[in-house]
Amino acid sequence: MGVLALVGTAKGLFVLRGNEKRHHWHAEGPLLGGWGVYHATADARDGTLYAATNHRVYGSTVQRSEDGGRTWRRSQRIGLPEESGLTVDAVWHVAPGRVEEPETLYLGAAPGVLFRSDDRGETWEVNRALLEHPTRDGWFPGAGGLCCHSVQLDPRDHRCMYVAITAAGVFRTDDAGETWIPRNRGVVAEFLGDPYAEVGQCPHKLLLHPARPDRLWQQNHFGVYLSDDRGDSWVRVDENGLPSGFGFPLMLDPADPDAAFVIPEEGPEYHYSPAGRLAVYGTRDRGETWQPMTDGLPDPGWAAVLREASAFDAESLYFGTQSGSFFTRVTGDRWVEAVRHLPPIFSVEVAAWS
Amino acid sequence: MVLIAVPSILAAQAEGTRRFEVEAETVGDALHALPVDDLIFNERGELNRHLNVYVDGTDHRERGGLDSSLEGAREIRVVAMVSGG
Repeated sequence: MGVLALVGTAKGLFVLRGNEKRHHWHAEGPLLGGWGVYHATADARDGTLYAATNHRVYGSTVQRSEDGGRTWRRSQRIGLPEESGLTVDAVWHVAPGRVEEPETLYLGAAPGVLFRSDDRGETWEVNRALLEHPTRDGWFPGAGGLCCHSVQLDPRDHRCMYVAITAAGVFRTDDAGETWIPRNRGVVAEFLGDPYAEVGQCPHKLLLHPARPDRLWQQNHFGVYLSDDRGDSWVRVDENGLPSGFGFPLMLDPADPDAAFVIPEEGPEYHYSPAGRLAVYGTRDRGETWQPMTDGLPDPGWAAVLREASAFDAESLYFGTQSGSFFTRVTGDRWVEAVRHLPPIFSVEVAAWS
Repeated sequence: MVLIAVPSILAAQAEGTRRFEVEAETVGDALHALPVDDLIFNERGELNRHLNVYVDGTDHRERGGLDSSLEGAREIRVVAMVSGG
């Protein structure tokens, strides 16, 4: 059993296949050449590949492949109701639905919207409650637009899910998308007049722990946060060993809810590694302490890793840089630069292959 | 019958077809007849901003725009105005 990495880049999708020990990798691509692949994923339910693709000239669409990337079919037009006065700026993140809803997928997009497909990505319908959310006037776009980049499903409750939007905050639904409640209590937004406002926060990535779904981790514009009550309250945990609270990617250990991994950057005005040292920092005690993992990473290095450009599985961690290098962790917490000289890497997802 | 040539990324979205023959009365009708019209027009039905459309070598805007007649026209060329990285 090897590892399949779907690496979305500014110029297309690359499919990387690594052996079991993840020492040897083969890169194939670019598939969907010329498209900016903001996110691509392999649907564990049936193996279909989905890619959220954007192009400066041709706009935004979702493309899917049922033959491992050889041929692709794009969705019908993805759009917003005319009366909303909004149009789709970009598609950001495709999330397959639950096992019991095999035809369903979710799509996070800008401007701060969520779509649902019940026909395996052929057509998409916008979630009205989020589109028409009463707090929308308090949302504003970050450098990447008003992007809905994180979609997390509670595996125990088919009515519960989360989205994270930059810069609007984290929202939870407990009624299958009929209503969305802001869940940003305790999360600071220093750029707001009221830094603890109900909305306007800037989550960079939100993940639910699959083995303890009440636990959420969040890499925010202003720190790393942990919630043990489904987002009802948040505790900041980046102030004990991280060189900076600012960063984008977030990785977990599926066997250890207390573990998380981040890649800090110097700060909001300086999107590169602190002090010229690219490092992944890990905690295994809920953020009480953080340890750098640098073995095998370039030194010095001024890398930037985007919000979708990291992944994890039971065995390892993976990330890609804007300078086109793909790294994976091998035995002994050592990193291997598996592939280099790709176009700027936007996204990474992994799956098993044999 | 008019011939329409599209850029390579659009062709890739049409199973590799770069040239199409369509029967249409206007420039807009001809473009809408393509299997990639959703990539040529935005969700409000406007021509995507970075595309130029030439009819027998003349910018379609100089001929009256998308509603202009194709009578006597032989070829439409769709050109992507890509610049930068």
